Amino acid sequence: MKYATTMIIGAGIALLAAGLFMPGWLTFLLTLAFAKGLVVMGLLLLMRAGLVSFGQGLYYCLGAYCVGIAGDYFETQNALLLILLAVVVCVALAAVIGLLLCRYRDIFFAMFSMAFSMILYGVLVKSSAFGSSDGFNVKPPLLFGWTPTGESGPFLAYGLAVVALVGVGIFVWRYLRSPMGYAGEAVRENEIRVEYLGASVRRIIYTKYLLAAAMAGLGGGITALAAGHIDPEMAYWTTSGEFVFIALMGGVGHAAGPVIGAVLFELLRTYAFQISPYTWQMILGISLLVIILYLPKGVWSLVERVTKGKPL
Amino acid sequence: MLKLSSINTNIAGTPILRDVNLAIEPGVLVGLIGRNGAGKTTLMRTVMGLLTPESGSITIGGQDMTDLAPHFRSQAKVGYMPEDRQLVPTLTVEENILIPAWANALSGAEARLAWVYELMPEVEAFAGRKALQLSGGQQKLVALARALMTGSHILLLDEPFEGVAPALSRRLASVLHTLKDEGLTVLLSESDYSHSADLVDQIYTIERGAVAAQEGAVK
Repeated sequence: MKYATTMIIGAGIALLAAGLFMPGWLTFLLTLAFAKGLVVMGLLLLMRAGLVSFGQGLYYCLGAYCVGIAGDYFETQNALLLILLAVVVCVALAAVIGLLLCRYRDIFFAMFSMAFSMILYGVLVKSSAFGSSDGFNVKPPLLFGWTPTGESGPFLAYGLAVVALVGVGIFVWRYLRSPMGYAGEAVRENEIRVEYLGASVRRIIYTKYLLAAAMAGLGGGITALAAGHIDPEMAYWTTSGEFVFIALMGGVGHAAGPVIGAVLFELLRTYAFQISPYTWQMILGISLLVIILYLPKGVWSLVERVTKGKPL
Repeated sequence: MLKLSSINTNIAGTPILRDVNLAIEPGVLVGLIGRNGAGKTTLMRTVMGLLTPESGSITIGGQDMTDLAPHFRSQAKVGYMPEDRQLVPTLTVEENILIPAWANALSGAEARLAWVYELMPEVEAFAGRKALQLSGGQQKLVALARALMTGSHILLLDEPFEGVAPALSRRLASVLHTLKDEGLTVLLSESDYSHSADLVDQIYTIERGAVAAQEGAVK
């Protein structure tokens, strides 16, 4: 366990150091990828319990809007404060919605979660105070009064994303090896068994839903600070679908799967758009198809095959 | 004490249990005998809270448990061994046994596990193997070990001897003898009492979802 923690921290330090030398576009791309990776890590917790949420966009968008609105309303650019607020608000909303959602499974869970996300989308599109469908700009973040400018501009959000990724990564890695982590798999396999063995299935799912909401809010907050602009599309069902896409691409067998999936997804989308501006979605679709056919457990399964000495 | 009063349970609208009354005193081993489809498993699942009765009440240790979720039964120290074992195939034997301890945040789990291993040393021998690598009989032993982790007051065993080789059946019976001597309350279901005749203190015969007969000790 200590070895893995050291490895994750080491990877984080290496990413931070690399960020100092990266071109701005790559720093920006990785920041968005890491932020999405955070959302998908939350989705991973739900998927391992057999639940697919098509509504993580709700918390992703809410987190981003919290950062944007609080920045304007409280006239603060303190990045840590804004992100903390985003997480707290997302968990508070999830605490209410989760009471309903933890009663549902399968397609009903997926559709209900999507419905709540679409409600937020509808509200934001109709709210002129928040820029309607155009959204609004978010002030550049400050960290202890410091804000990077010029070429190193995106570095602050990137640094925050890396630190968040390391923290959440260690948490998820340990969580998956804890009784609560195993409980998720046990729920997926057989809910009745979990109940008679002494654990409340609803409580297990509720806890995972809250954690997933917190991670999605964190990812949304970081995205808002990095992009400097937010709009209701973040709550649209296609955004939630993207998170599921990334989860399938990276794999949910390991905490690193979502991060690898998110980076791959952002790179693929960027280059697909560059190569074929009108049919880039087709390239993404074919890529996912290939991954599902040949790597049904996601790209991360390649790493597992190599480390366990299995043939590729 | 476990008490069922006028229990009626339906499955998909079909009445399965009809006006079942049953009382088990502490430290008694009760056999629930009935042929396939008589309602034994439904009764077990109703007691465990996996099926909600249409009417009637279930009390465990004086506490009304009728409308409580199954995990409250486990917290009330009721252990359940289902007919089909229901082990987690990808977890090791020891991890399977420890699930109830984790789920209930059981204090003294290590001591309880040591007691279970002392009771069934053969289980400790394959504690590191995955559940999917075990034979059906071995899985029954592990399911019993898992039920014992929380079942320190009442043990519900659904057809423990079903599909088990004669040698393992004798071993299971010997474990149940020890548990009986230790004063554990046990409700055990079987299609006949060929394996448990020497074990049970009391027999309830169940036919078409109703208690057809109740007998005292059969020796």
